[in-house]
Amino acid sequence: MAAALLALLIVTGLYLLVFYRVGAPWQSVERLQADPYLGRWIRSLHRFASDAMVIAVLLHAWRLFAQSRSWGPRALAWTSGVVLLAVLFISGWTGYVMVWDTFGAELAIGGARLFDALPVLSEPVRRIFAGDQAIPSAFFFINLFLHVALPLGAAAGLWIHLSRLARPTLLPPRPLLSAVFGALTALSIFFPTPLAPEASLLTVERHVPADLFFVFWLPWANALPPWLAWTGAVGTFGLALCIPLFLHRPRSGSWTPSVVDERHCTGCNQCPQDCPWDAITMIPREGGHGVQSALVARVNPLRCVSCGVCAGSCAPMGVGPPGQTGRDQVARVRETYGVADVNELRPVAICCEHAAPDYLAPLRARGAEVRRVSCAGNLHTSAIELTLRAGAPGVMVFTCPPRDCRGREGPKWLHERLFNDREAELQSRVDRSRVATVVMSVGDPEGVLDAWTAFAAHLQAHDTQIPSAFDDPLGAYCEPVPLENSR
Amino acid sequence: MRPAVWARPAAGLTVAAFGLIALRAGSLAPLRTSAVGESVLRLSWSARPERIEQCRRLTDAELAERPQHMRLRWECEGRFARYLLSVRVDGRIVASDTVRGGGLRNDRPMHLFREYALRPGERRLGVTLRRIDASVRLDSTGGQVAAGAAAADRETREAQERRVRRAEALPDSVSLDTVLVVPTGRVALVSYASGERKLVFRTGQ
Ligand code: HEM
Ligand code: SF4
Ligand code: SF4
Repeated sequence: MAAALLALLIVTGLYLLVFYRVGAPWQSVERLQADPYLGRWIRSLHRFASDAMVIAVLLHAWRLFAQSRSWGPRALAWTSGVVLLAVLFISGWTGYVMVWDTFGAELAIGGARLFDALPVLSEPVRRIFAGDQAIPSAFFFINLFLHVALPLGAAAGLWIHLSRLARPTLLPPRPLLSAVFGALTALSIFFPTPLAPEASLLTVERHVPADLFFVFWLPWANALPPWLAWTGAVGTFGLALCIPLFLHRPRSGSWTPSVVDERHCTGCNQCPQDCPWDAITMIPREGGHGVQSALVARVNPLRCVSCGVCAGSCAPMGVGPPGQTGRDQVARVRETYGVADVNELRPVAICCEHAAPDYLAPLRARGAEVRRVSCAGNLHTSAIELTLRAGAPGVMVFTCPPRDCRGREGPKWLHERLFNDREAELQSRVDRSRVATVVMSVGDPEGVLDAWTAFAAHLQAHDTQIPSAFDDPLGAYCEPVPLENSR
Repeated sequence: MRPAVWARPAAGLTVAAFGLIALRAGSLAPLRTSAVGESVLRLSWSARPERIEQCRRLTDAELAERPQHMRLRWECEGRFARYLLSVRVDGRIVASDTVRGGGLRNDRPMHLFREYALRPGERRLGVTLRRIDASVRLDSTGGQVAAGAAAADRETREAQERRVRRAEALPDSVSLDTVLVVPTGRVALVSYASGERKLVFRTGQ
């Protein structure tokens, strides 16, 4: 959403720029405001969209913080995001100063007060706003330059922000995008933002109409000594930058980067296509273990976030974070069904570890055999097939909402592998009516549980039997090969 | 019990409507400014403090030892004067402190920006800036009168430069004492007019 709003801001901003005059800033905005057909509501849209962008960016940052998606290979995205946020706030500051109404003057004076606390200029900038001389148009020019350059810089900075991601999702789902843009446009047309009076430096304003999304900090900055305000600002910025350090985990256990077992890699080039972090490349095979492909996959541990999505993409099960590979999953299925009483097998609910845990008990209460997987995209289709062949009447996979997947593309790739023959696809011999996926959304518990109940009822109605051909399900599918890291 | 079919869209619309109301309210919220009072006395100026220096006239021999580009007949050492700023409102002293030139060595102009709260109404305002350090005049002992037209010319030029510098600097004392009606919400601005070498007064009426 943030990127879409940034685009909207750039487009509306370009329109406003055509009318802006550094020699008569407030008067040029007044002229725009007087145009009821376009000027007034585009100005309002620019303002409300910038507020919406602050909200969108803060929600985006909060979500990634809450999901602990900030450290390791993601640290670059995090730190560049913090810089983008700072740029957003500074752009807002320059934007409001541009209007040169009472709020703009208050911001300019607040900024000058902070700036004067730095040992940069011997003449206080605050004197420009004393009222004994006209404000130099160079001031408005520099301000305008910053207001145009910073958002364009932010658009370029997005490139760094997204540089470690494959296929970044820039736009929200179309209904959400239309709803947000439509609502902001309606708000701008029916309740446009008024224009405050022109700044008068020899008049004392006790209150100004302020945009709290951008200047929530101003009352503190005004109340505190400038050095303390600076300490607060720099401290908050530094702390935000350092969050990846605080949340950092040792790269062991479930955070171990993925590895390729070159003995199994057939060089099919699927995992590099599926990895959401572009962490896998194909390189010429060295030496070789017998008759093998010319190329072999190689994981860059500095880019790998251990999401496990590659494990689900590899038909010969030769890649994945240790403990999460297809082979590990198949081995666990064997272990489970090796001790299960086949006559009592229940339908299986495979839940993403991150999807709402509150559902697990209700699912068990509805007769589900609940199992967990690190990410829906990590689930190997062979594990599903083997579960069915072992006698489970059906398998339903519970995923996170696709936009909320910590593996970024888990639900998408799972769906493609199950129903659209993407490598490593669920084999055509498997009865698709016994396999389903459902989004485990937090806001719709009834919907989720209903989906399960309907699935279970469907399985019962179709009286799915254990296939007689698989009286030895454990040996039926693949030869157990111990997973060793080849390097 | 299951929520009705329309409950979700209705909840969505309500949340969206409240969201928009909050967005607009947050975007146009009244914010208390940094104004120090209902009305304000503002002092703002840039003025060059006087230079307090001890000068010595160099001999021809001393002058000849200096590199070509550093040959000044008068060699001066010193610093810039400090001033006592005092501000009175209705006879009450609201500020009395030492002010000096800007920069790390105080060799830049004195840039001053101060604000004091004023109660609106008829007020007697007094602002005084008085030099603290005593000035020292030229000490012409020790040197010799230079011979030749070029040397005399240089000496005149140097003397002229020193005079200009002194004329541009703040006088020993400047003050402004006036009674005025300060309207609510106005700034009474005192600045220094360097041409007239005095403090001047402006209101925002
Ligand atoms: C101008 C503001 C910003 C825009 C337009 C923006 C946009 C984006 C986009 C489009 C993605 C890719 C999402 C995906 O496809 O999965 C992303 C990822 C990311 N963003 Fe931002 N972002 C902004 C600010 C921030 C801020 C302020 C932070 C945090 C302080 C942040 C942290 C991250 C992180 C850590 C990722 C990577 C997520 C991952 O690898 O799992 N971003 N951002
Ligand atoms: S998906 Fe498996 S076989 Fe294909 S390139 Fe990757 S590791 Fe090799
Ligand atoms: S676990 Fe696999 S898919 Fe995920 S980032 Fe690492 S290499 Fe890419």
